[in-house]
Amino acid sequence: MPNPKLQLVEAPVAGASDRSVINTRSISKIFSLPEGPVTALRDVNITVSKGDFVSFVGPSGCGKSTLLNIIAGLLPPTSGTAELYGEAITSPSRRMGFMFQTAVLLPWRTVEGNVLLPAEVYGMDPKAVRDKARSVIEAVGLKDFIKAYPKQLSGGMQQRVALARVLTYEPEILLMDEPFGALDEFTREAMNLELMRITQSAGITCIFVTHNITEAVFLSDKVVVMTPRPGKVSGVVDVTLPRPREIETMKDPAFADLIFEVRNLLGRHI
Amino acid sequence: MKHVDQWTDNTTQRRQDWYFRLGAIGIGIAILALWEVLPLTGLVNPIILPPFSKVAVALFTLMQQPFFPGHLAVTFNEIIIGFIIGTLLGLGIGIALAVWPSAKRLAYPFVVGFQAIPKIVFAPLFIAWFGFGQTSKIVMAVVIAFFPVLINTMVGLESVPSDARKLMRSLKATPLQIFWKVSFLHALPIIFAGVQAAFTFAVIGAIVGEFVGSQEGLGYLLNLYNFQLRIDRAFAVIVILATIGAAGFFLLEWADRKFIFWRERS
Ligand SMILES: Nc1ncnc2c1ncn2[C@@H]1O[C@H](COP(=O)(O)OP(=O)(O)OP(=O)(O)O)[C@@H](O)[C@H]1O
Ligand SMILES: [Mg+2]
Repeated sequence: MPNPKLQLVEAPVAGASDRSVINTRSISKIFSLPEGPVTALRDVNITVSKGDFVSFVGPSGCGKSTLLNIIAGLLPPTSGTAELYGEAITSPSRRMGFMFQTAVLLPWRTVEGNVLLPAEVYGMDPKAVRDKARSVIEAVGLKDFIKAYPKQLSGGMQQRVALARVLTYEPEILLMDEPFGALDEFTREAMNLELMRITQSAGITCIFVTHNITEAVFLSDKVVVMTPRPGKVSGVVDVTLPRPREIETMKDPAFADLIFEVRNLLGRHI
Repeated sequence: MKHVDQWTDNTTQRRQDWYFRLGAIGIGIAILALWEVLPLTGLVNPIILPPFSKVAVALFTLMQQPFFPGHLAVTFNEIIIGFIIGTLLGLGIGIALAVWPSAKRLAYPFVVGFQAIPKIVFAPLFIAWFGFGQTSKIVMAVVIAFFPVLINTMVGLESVPSDARKLMRSLKATPLQIFWKVSFLHALPIIFAGVQAAFTFAVIGAIVGEFVGSQEGLGYLLNLYNFQLRIDRAFAVIVILATIGAAGFFLLEWADRKFIFWRERS
């Protein structure tokens, strides 16, 4: 296993590598609770390259969400820095889109109204975005539901709206915290294929949090395996399976090997 | 298929609604019949409880008296003004306390303490302070009515899901944008329930104020007829007050359904 100190020395200086989009430099996060401090992350160093699909996997409580929130600029680290193109992340950026485990739709807005919410917040003219929004809503398969309200949609459809809401603004980086975790197996698979197709064709850099190993390997170029108490990176698995990937990719013996490799990295700690 | 299912669901639902409506009407008729029959049989003294038909006649004649519209207008004014001021006050203070945490921590003990007081005890005081006119009644209505709005505004604004706030933060929304686009609308169904309660309370406030000291208004009439033992007329006034209360309540209920269409209804 590589020494983290050594890795730090080898890590490119800010801006030196033109392909690296996100870097975390020895990030630690300690939550102070009444019962005492909780170390959610300790000395996390990861690099995400342009166009890569990177998954964070690990058991519940290992700090995946915490790390993602720090990268999103929603949570300050206790020490270390997260960098976007070599610059410290101190607040959310419009270059990054965020997706939650639930769709987080506003029930008084239609599908279109929800997708146009960021435009209003950004102070853009909603008319200028409307055509784009409609085409994205169509692309996620909700053409007939543009004027529907969230409560008229299934969970999977609501999550599609959330995807459309983030994709409409063409983020360079898409941060997703178990975005399909609340969906059933079939819907989740369909959503994963769709997500992969869209993000690949748009060249979007993705960070995807999940505790589903199969899903992580199937989607990713890199799987970052995290372990709990304190949360840290126990290893990174490079997924070299060719793209485009289809369901048949799962039959590939290399696929099974990769899953085994990830499981192995996890297994030593659980 | 799906549409057909939904349709049958709706019709059974509607049919059930009608059964319940008919049931309620039936119970209402039964109560009126009992009201009519009991005093006639002598089981209840007709002076204490005049039969329904006498009350209906009293109601009819009362409404034709030249002095009646004036009294109605006075009470109606007190209720509406008290309700509006109370609602705005509750909304304003509720929002201030919810968005400004230190204000909330400072004021909350007083809010809770004030809630524990039966506000009716202030009625004689308000008469002393604001006189026998409409002002003292409006103040009474405001003091009772603003409370449910205040509490519901605070509760509603505090129940905004953290994910929704987080979404807005990830969009770099300003606090004002978060408030108007998410928090306020999220809280609105809860706030509106408070507004509905406020109307009922405003009616109580105005009438209590009139009971304690007044020379006009429906509460004054009710008191007067009680003293004169004209119980049929007293009941007639009660019917009018009940109508005002119910009309306001159902009007607000209608507004709720129309404007807060996203409310979760069981
Ligand atoms: N706001 C917070 N305050 C205090 N402790 C927190 C907070 N957020 C997270 N933690 C703690 O930090 C640790 C990591 O939490 P985190 O939510 O990042 O885990 P996770 O890997 O996303 O878990 P899951 O898979 O269940 O979502 C946990 O022990 C949790 O209790
Ligand atoms: Mg999590």
